[in-house]
Amino acid sequence: MTTTEFAPEALSGLIGCTTTQGIPTLYAPRRGGQVTAGLFFRVGRADETLATAGLTHLVEHLALHRLQLADLHHNGATANTYTLFHATGDEDEVVAHLNSVCAALRELPLARLDTEREILRTEAAGGRSGSNSPLPLWRYGAQGYGLSSYDELGTWSVTPDQVGDWARTRFTRENAVLWITSESVPEGLDLTLPTGTRRPAPAATSALRTTPAYICGEDGHVVLTSVVRRSTAAAVFADVLGRALFQDLRQEGGYSYAAEADYTPRDADFATLTAYADALPQKQDAVVGGFVDTLARLRNGTIAQSELDSVRGKKLKMYDVPDFAAASLPGYALDLLLGHRILSPAEHRAELAAVTVADLHEVAREAWASTLLQVPGHRGVDWAGLTLAPQYSGTTGVTGSSHRSLESEDVTLVIGDEGVSVTTPRGVVTVLYDTCVAMTTRPDGARGLTGPDGFAVTVEPTLYLDVTPDRIARIDAAVPEAAVVRLPARAPEHVPRPREGAAQSQRSKDSGPATWVPTWLRTVGGRLLAVVAAAWVLLGGFTIVRQIIGPDGDLGGALAVALIEVPPVMLLRRLYLVHRMRRR
Amino acid sequence: MTTTGTTTDDDERPVALSEPVDDPFTTLPDLTPLRDAARAGDWPATQAFFTALASTENPVENPVENSAEKVSFASAQLAGLDGVETYLERAAAEHPADPLPRTLLAERYIRIGWAIRSRYRAEHVSRDQFEQFHDWLRRAERLLIDVCAEQPDNPAAWTARLLTARGLQLGQTEARRRYDRLSAHHPHHFRAQSQLLQQMCPKWSGSWEAAHAFAQECVAAAPAGAHAGVVVAEAHIEHWADLDGVEQRTYMRSVSVRDELRAAARESVLHPDYAPGWSWITADSAFALAFSIGGHFADAAAHFVSLEDRVTEYQWQYLPGWKAAFVKYRKSALATL
Repeated sequence: MTTTEFAPEALSGLIGCTTTQGIPTLYAPRRGGQVTAGLFFRVGRADETLATAGLTHLVEHLALHRLQLADLHHNGATANTYTLFHATGDEDEVVAHLNSVCAALRELPLARLDTEREILRTEAAGGRSGSNSPLPLWRYGAQGYGLSSYDELGTWSVTPDQVGDWARTRFTRENAVLWITSESVPEGLDLTLPTGTRRPAPAATSALRTTPAYICGEDGHVVLTSVVRRSTAAAVFADVLGRALFQDLRQEGGYSYAAEADYTPRDADFATLTAYADALPQKQDAVVGGFVDTLARLRNGTIAQSELDSVRGKKLKMYDVPDFAAASLPGYALDLLLGHRILSPAEHRAELAAVTVADLHEVAREAWASTLLQVPGHRGVDWAGLTLAPQYSGTTGVTGSSHRSLESEDVTLVIGDEGVSVTTPRGVVTVLYDTCVAMTTRPDGARGLTGPDGFAVTVEPTLYLDVTPDRIARIDAAVPEAAVVRLPARAPEHVPRPREGAAQSQRSKDSGPATWVPTWLRTVGGRLLAVVAAAWVLLGGFTIVRQIIGPDGDLGGALAVALIEVPPVMLLRRLYLVHRMRRR
Repeated sequence: MTTTGTTTDDDERPVALSEPVDDPFTTLPDLTPLRDAARAGDWPATQAFFTALASTENPVENPVENSAEKVSFASAQLAGLDGVETYLERAAAEHPADPLPRTLLAERYIRIGWAIRSRYRAEHVSRDQFEQFHDWLRRAERLLIDVCAEQPDNPAAWTARLLTARGLQLGQTEARRRYDRLSAHHPHHFRAQSQLLQQMCPKWSGSWEAAHAFAQECVAAAPAGAHAGVVVAEAHIEHWADLDGVEQRTYMRSVSVRDELRAAARESVLHPDYAPGWSWITADSAFALAFSIGGHFADAAAHFVSLEDRVTEYQWQYLPGWKAAFVKYRKSALATL
């Protein structure tokens, strides 16, 4: 083992810093016999494409395959911008585990690939793969940070070579950070990994033309996301917002059961602020109104000094936990991995102490400016100054052969030389071939094309007039091979047929209220695009990963403690899942 | 002012009462400075008028006379003056930190929008009218969201938000939430009760059960002598106006409705503790109308005596040729004395 000293100034005297076989390593002791270690890689879902979505998750599963029967507690997690392998046990066990993970990453058991593909699809079907909130895809499109809204389509298509390349180029020593709760780096580690480069988190894309924006979603849920610059004040603001929503919507109004907010770093510079409230269907109008008013108060009204002080007090308490240094390791490691500034505890305390009510107002205004709000029903929130997110690509589509819908005479599919369009009386959805991020294919001729903006067109030969094999061949010839996802044959009963009287009902729907059912999860032909997540999981991203990593600005400390106490975390998670199931 | 020296063939007593006057700036001389300020586009004078109201006594035990009622009332009256948006917009731009010009401007926007929508039932309003109507209400609402954030106890802003909630169809529970937010600071706020009652009527997706229950809830919760009893009369008038034919002709005549009206009048305008404030004309107008429609002229008389030739036309407009009807009913009522 080679050990080279490196030391972020801020951590001196608190946390040991070194490199282990080229991997930056943070360590600090913890009382008790058990050791916890985590190996982060700066690669995640946001680095994939829609056609390869799930690639990182497959590598993670393959790396852990041999270890599934080990006695120690361990797990892997794939998030938007990182992958984490972590384990808790005796020092020998943890060392053996890390060695085994790295050995598997060096030489992935690709013979297992097809089995792991099945496991991931089963995991997704069971709703256990984490978040499928639609908000990321509305904000970012079908790329980068938007991919967490989608199923892992790549489990169908990625080749062994692609998986192997991904491991070789992303799971490298330069692209990793190790942390371990011990006095020193244990003997016996063999973390040999290929050499590569530290890859910055991907740049954010945007599918929203203007913000604040809104979409209409399921009954019973109001969800806000916004993107703010990472700061101590912004992390404090998230807690102030959560408390204000709880006070206004639950304690005062009795409209909601759950009302909460969360702050999660997105990349080195920005964080995602999420706020959520549930509602009984008959009270959801009041929840939307209360939500809007709470946000307005935090922007322009009075924030009591006590609101700030109680959150500040709670945040300062994380320094009181035993083994604070060990508890803060995951947070520091993630900051190091993402290239975020590292604050010493003293610096962080000073920043916390310096946060003012005026700072919170400023964060509130910044958050509002980038807000994407999901509201229940079809009423919308344009009255509160938000703009409906784009429902169509535009007003003109591609030129080419026209194929009338067999379900609605107002709807036409156009297969052109540059792309495909579906035209409706209210707008046009277009996917261009050369920027198509994924095209699913079925042996029966069906094609599902998704553009980088998240708009999708499904070509079902049974639902449009004269979609002959040569038209399908035209599409196939034009879409880049890297975007093609070949899906297996469907059972005959799963091949769609035009609905009886569908043309009638489509017309009446289109002449309905101005707030047209606004989801591009649904292709305009009225069929669910099979590759897109339909399941809505509360407060997307409540995976164990996030529970472990915790918020930024407070060094991840408060929640990082959870990792040190893994059994309670598992219990909490179980309770949370039971609670969540009840609420759904 | 036109004077009608009405005498009828079989009337032994000549009655010399005027046609009703419904302009609040005429019927309530206290409002004259406000109208003068508005006509002159004089923001400092307008501001001074409202500042004086807000600084008057605000005795909790006397909700009728409190300043919140007057501020809310005066805001609504100012909004009824054509063209005031010009100087209010200027004032809002010049005093961005002061919620008052934005509140008054929002009230005016709502009034402009509602005038475009017209009083007719939704099926008689064109799509273009609705779009303009909603556009004005959204402009108002966006101002009011911030005003209520800055001044969570602003009675006029919360009351105005009951109108935007109704016009923009934000739902029953949202309207109720706004009322509750207002009530937390100003319980028994008459103008808000009257506006929420509208929301609870079937024409705004409510029900008669909900509307009458709300009216009774207002009375039960309010101290004796508050205006809340008027909400009972307003609910019955709305109910009556929604009926047709025989049902309409008999509704107000029923003993149970009459008894409810009598009880509500006793609890409000006829109560010894009643403090008339500025809403008393609205209050007596509602009772005079309700009793008259039901043929309960002896009950109507006390209200006509107070009103003389003053009236708030708001619900009287449900009667075709309402000014003539007012004169006729008043005569019948005074004849019972």
